[in-house]
Amino acid sequence: MTGTGTYMYAITRPLPESAFAEVPGMLGSPVRVVSDRGLACVVSTVDLADFGEQELRANLEDLTWVERVSRAHDDVVRSVAGLGTTAPLRLATVCNDDASVQQRLRRLGGRGEKLLSVLDGRDEWGLKLLGRVAQPMAAVAASSGAEYLRRQRDDFANRDELSVAASRRADDVYTFVATSAVAARRHRPQDARLSGLARPMLLNASFLVDRDEADAFRRSIDAVAQALPPDSVQLTGPWPAYSFTALEDG
Amino acid sequence: MTVPTDTVVTTRPASLVDLLDRLLGAGAVVAGDLTISLAGVDLITVQLRTLIATVREDR
Repeated sequence: MTGTGTYMYAITRPLPESAFAEVPGMLGSPVRVVSDRGLACVVSTVDLADFGEQELRANLEDLTWVERVSRAHDDVVRSVAGLGTTAPLRLATVCNDDASVQQRLRRLGGRGEKLLSVLDGRDEWGLKLLGRVAQPMAAVAASSGAEYLRRQRDDFANRDELSVAASRRADDVYTFVATSAVAARRHRPQDARLSGLARPMLLNASFLVDRDEADAFRRSIDAVAQALPPDSVQLTGPWPAYSFTALEDG
Repeated sequence: MTVPTDTVVTTRPASLVDLLDRLLGAGAVVAGDLTISLAGVDLITVQLRTLIATVREDR
């Protein structure tokens, strides 16, 4: 596809474009601001040779491209977040031109401001909970075939029991930590091939936390960590509120 | 009083996987005339997983 489109990073309240003079945008494109009344969208002009629908599908297969674009998106979103309350958009949200971005903002109207007011003074934190690597008994030298089969049966039973207990523990941790947060959301546990972790991931969640309450939130994570085997808890953040900006399509 | 624990906070750089959880799985969706619909997010995620698995095997 030829031509250009307007890549949207995030929605915020109006701010001067000069704030982004030093921020590198998507694939080398300058960062600009499109405003409409009380809302603004931080954007860059992108080539449809990269972001057209067909081209995008192909590019999403290329991990190097995905990483470059994801990092660029995140860098811009974080610099917007450094200036004011920010509702990040999904990766690769592209409109025809600035005029259609402006139309979107107008259509969003009060819902946009409402979303921003929910995010005011708050950050996202990520929590991952790791389980134990199962240790099968069947593999331990058995004295007979029958013994081996019995152990194998026990292993299956143990594994089920462990996984039920583990998922209950993940639910408990999620519920407990959510009491120290304004909002909570679960992501799918990461595939081991993606995370590169040997231990199974029991919980992958995001929490929206008042900046003023960040210390109390961290203490609740500490309490969870102390009750579990070492290195079971991974905390990331603060993130821009990526997981808490779901808007209905307008 | 802050009690020392083994909870290590990772700030930046974020891992790519953590970033993709957020950039593909979440984020405001604003319909655009050319908004690339990530309605196929699951599909894309699966493809990425296959891809990343391949990358890891190659190492």
